[in-house]
Parts: sequence; C-alpha cells; structure tokens
Amino acid sequence: MSAEPRSLSFRGVAKSFGDVPALRPLSLDVAPGEFVTLLGPSGSGKTTLLNIAAGFIVPDTGSLHIGDADVTALPPRKRDIGMVFQSYALFPHMTVFDNIAYGLRVRDVAAAETERQVRAALAMVQLDDYGHRRIQQLSGGQQQRVALARAMVIEPAVLLMDEPLGALDRQLRKQVQLEIRRLHREFGRTTLYVTHDQEEALVMSDRIGIMRNGRIEQIGPPQELYRRPANVFVAAFLGESNILRGKIVDCTVGTARLAATGLGTEIGGPCAPGLAVGMEAGAIFRPEAVGFAGPGEGGLPARVMEVVYLGELLAIRLALPSGQEVWRRCFPGTDDPVEGRDVHLSWRTEDVRIVPLDNQPMEEN
Amino acid sequence: MTTRTAIATNIAGSMILAFLVLPILAVVPASFNHASFIRLPPVTWSLRWYQAFLNDPEWWRALVASTRVALLATIISVTLGTAAALGLERVTARMRTALLAIVISPLIVPVIMTSIALYYVMRPLGLHGTTLGLALGHTLLAVPFVVVNVGISLRGVDPNCVRAAEGLGASPWRVFRTITLPLIVPGLAGGAAFAFVTSFDEVVVSIFLAGVQAKTLPVKLWETIRVEFTPVTAVASTILLVITLVLFVAVKAAARGLPHQDGSRVR
Repeated sequence: MSAEPRSLSFRGVAKSFGDVPALRPLSLDVAPGEFVTLLGPSGSGKTTLLNIAAGFIVPDTGSLHIGDADVTALPPRKRDIGMVFQSYALFPHMTVFDNIAYGLRVRDVAAAETERQVRAALAMVQLDDYGHRRIQQLSGGQQQRVALARAMVIEPAVLLMDEPLGALDRQLRKQVQLEIRRLHREFGRTTLYVTHDQEEALVMSDRIGIMRNGRIEQIGPPQELYRRPANVFVAAFLGESNILRGKIVDCTVGTARLAATGLGTEIGGPCAPGLAVGMEAGAIFRPEAVGFAGPGEGGLPARVMEVVYLGELLAIRLALPSGQEVWRRCFPGTDDPVEGRDVHLSWRTEDVRIVPLDNQPMEEN
Repeated sequence: MTTRTAIATNIAGSMILAFLVLPILAVVPASFNHASFIRLPPVTWSLRWYQAFLNDPEWWRALVASTRVALLATIISVTLGTAAALGLERVTARMRTALLAIVISPLIVPVIMTSIALYYVMRPLGLHGTTLGLALGHTLLAVPFVVVNVGISLRGVDPNCVRAAEGLGASPWRVFRTITLPLIVPGLAGGAAFAFVTSFDEVVVSIFLAGVQAKTLPVKLWETIRVEFTPVTAVASTILLVITLVLFVAVKAAARGLPHQDGSRVR
C-alpha cells in the first residue's frame, strides 16, 4: 500500500432529477487521507454526492477534482476510486481471491504480484485462509470485509463507501465499524463515507457533514458538531437534544439570551452565528448536561415523569410546567429520582447553545 | 384447504396434464408398431420403421437440415436477443414496454402472415430455399424467447456488481465479459434451448421458405403425411420429441449447477 492518497474536491456541484433538486450547488474539500462522513436522512442528497464522486452520476453544474486533476468528465474506471456498497456487490460467480484480484488483473499486474497483494489484502481484513471460498459461503460481515479488501487492494486515490454497514446486524456493525476505523488509521486512504447512522459517523470520521435537502447544513469534526451545532436540525440529528424554543432578547458576540416560550424564564448561553434580537431560536442542551439543583439553588421547576433504566445509564423524562419535555441522562446513583417527584433542573451556561431554528427559509421546498 | 378438496384439485390437475401430454406421447408406442399402418396400441412390437427411417437418405437429409437451420437460428437469435435485452435495460420503463411489444410481435401476428411476408422479402434476395434464409425466418420467431429469458436473468444481476467492476477500472467490454455474461448464463441457456426448439419444430415458415437445400424434418413429415400415412412419420415425430426433451432437461440440469446472483441456485 504505497500509492499516495489524494484530495477530493467538489466545486459548486449541483444536480436535479427532473424538477427535483437532489443537490443544490455545494462545495466540499476532503483532504488527502481524511475520513469524511456525509450524514443525513434519506433523500438528503448524500448518496447523490457520493455517486457524483464515483462518476455514476454526472453533475448538472460544477466540477469534481481528485488531486490536481479535473475528473468531472471521466468515467468511473478512469478515476482511480475504490467503492464499497451496502449490498456488498461482490461478484457471486468468483471466489474470494478472484474478487479481490479483479482490480489488479484489470491493471495487468503480474500473476505473482497479484497473488502477493491479494494475500496481503486478505490478511489486512483478517480473512487469511478464505481465498478459495465462494462468496455464498461467507457471512454478511465477512462479505463486507472482502468488499473492503477488493476496494483497497488497488490503492485507490479515494475510497467511496455507500452505507457499507447498512445490511449488517447491530453486533456485526460495531465490529466492521472498528475494522474500517483501524484500516483507515493504518493506511490513511482518503475516504468519503455515506450513512444515516450517527453512531457510525461519530466513531469513524475526521469530519462529519450533516446533509438535508441537498445541502450540507454543517460540516466539522464530531465534537464540534456535537458541542456547537449550527441549528436545531443538526442538534436534533446528531445525538439526543433538549430543545426549548423562544425569542432572542439579547444578542452580543458569541452569546445570546432567549425568552423561552411558555416558561416565563430566560435561557442564556453561547450562540451560533446569524442570530439577532427578535428572532425565533432554540436553546439546545444535551441530556447529560442536565442536573438537579439542590434546595434553595433555584433552577427550572419540573416533575419526574419516567425513569428508564438503560444499563450503564438512566434516562429520566421530565415535564416542565409548560408541558414541554426534557430528558436527563445520568449514571445510576444512590439518590435515583422517583417518578412523580418535583425537582429543579440546572445546567451550566456553557453547556447551552442558542441556535437558529433553521439555516434556510423553508419556502424553497 | 381440506384433504378432500386437495385430492379433487390434484385429480383435476392430473387429468388436464394428461389431456395435454398424452396425445403427444401416443406417437412413441406407434413408432414401435410392426404393422404398416399407424395403430394403437401396437399388436406386434418392432423396430422396422426405425430401420426404414435410418435407411432412407431423404429422412437423414431432413434431420441434418433441421439441425443446421436450428443451430444457425439459435446462434443468430441468441446474439441479437441478448443485445436487445441489454439495450432494453438501459431505456426508460415506457420505452421498454413499447420496444418489448415490437420484439414479441412475431409471436402474436399469425405465423402464416409472417410466412407470406418472409416469402416475398426473401425471394428477390435469393435467400428463399437456403439454410440461411430459413434460419433468419426462424430467428424472427425465436428472438422473443431469448429476449425474455435473458431479460429475466439480467434483472437478477445486482447493478452495483457492474458498478463495482467499473470502479475497479474495467472497460465496458471487460465488465460484460467477466461480470454480466457469466451471471446471465442461465438465461442464455434457457433462451438458446427455446430458440433451438422453436426452429427445430417450426413448420409453417419452413413450408414457405424451404427448398431442396433446406427441407427440414417437420417439412418432410408434412409432405410425407400428405402422401402416405406411414409409421415412419411416427418415428420422425418420436425423434423430434426426444431431441426436444433431452435439450430441455440438459439446460435445466446445467442451469441448476450455476450459482445465481443472491447465492441461491436457479431452480
């Protein structure tokens, strides 16, 4: 594995199917060796973007660059890409060995060298003795590992993965997830990964791009997205969030205060850009940031509605006087709350984030 | 379903099948009859009419001509039909419906009309009465079977397999040769068997287009029966039947040995 990973750049790429815009003009740069995940609900355009990278879809406008080369007009076979599909897409009439060797044979690699590289690729995905097996004899997890080996053995400039874990059960998914992460750390291939599973995105990515309606709503490292979501959609899509809506009453550089609707109280905290006094906005705080205030410490009054035991964690559903719900997550302790008890909620100001309800006006849809 | 209705259904089904198949099978015992006329069941069993068939060079020539025409028609229709099926996968659904209707139309149009039309087209071209001419005529009737069979196989191929091969750097021709073609072999084999049998059994087009060079077995049968009702015709029919049967069993057996797209086997 020696060929250098290269960068992948979308520049003003857009695509419509008939009258339906699948992708609004967007730009995205994936650095050499970087692992970028496109995360979003179905129909958000993430797969379209991946297929444009692969060359299976030609964009209406914009251009695509791999390294320094403009590959917009090149067919998939000339792009030097490795693809991994949700359906594995292994060649059912070939053995594991022949599947992995396919790309090497296309490149006219000598038989002995092909043999050596396929063996190395099999070892890489820990399927050393499986070369002679037929695809039908493998489990789903093994098939996806073969697909990974097949895509990586050609040392592609860019690896493209389309929900590769979508067809696996939960247990296997975790396994293969860590496998992909290990392979990426080890070989540093530039990777564009598409999924609708936030856990996958968080575990593997250097950066995550949250997509909706053909746009990238926000892109950044996982912690950044989790801690500083750009809007309510991102906050709700990545991880669990408590969202209290209201009107901005005060807004300075970096912080804002909002009058929470129906609560008669103000919530302040760091804020996302693009807010102004009078705007509708949301105060976001994560369930793990919610605490119970001691007696006489103030806080937002609430009633414990439900206590859900999750094993290592407790999830507590609380009702505010306005009827809104707030979740708290904490480790089980000695003073576990009792359903029906009245409590006061508290949180640190820095754990709150005031964000716009949405990046885009909705009338475009 | 209760046991009684199940039994009744089975009996009814068996009777319908018997009604369909038995008249065809009747030629088999008839061909082993010793008498000089066709009668069932045979009074004395004998192979004398098989001997008569084998000793008559005209029957031989007809059998060889049939085989040649059928092989040629199979090759042409499998090539054209596969190309058509591949093309049909690439057009919109509406276009596909329309084009498929045209491809299948030779099966709907009365064969006698097709035959007359073919006669008028082939005569000025000098194809009338030749092996090639007859094979082309049969191709018209055989292509729909190939298109349909290969089409079904193609729809079973994961399109991502083709994409994966393209992504790995394979040219379109290489993708076809190494991925698509091996995966549609069951459909190809089925289509080829249908094409061969369609041509081998065909009589209407053949009567119009057959000359001396291309007098096929069914045409020879037809001519013979018009003149004399000899048990040799039962022999020829049995041979047609056996070849058809053997071919289909062989294709089914071959297809069962091939792994299919999803890892299951073709039934």
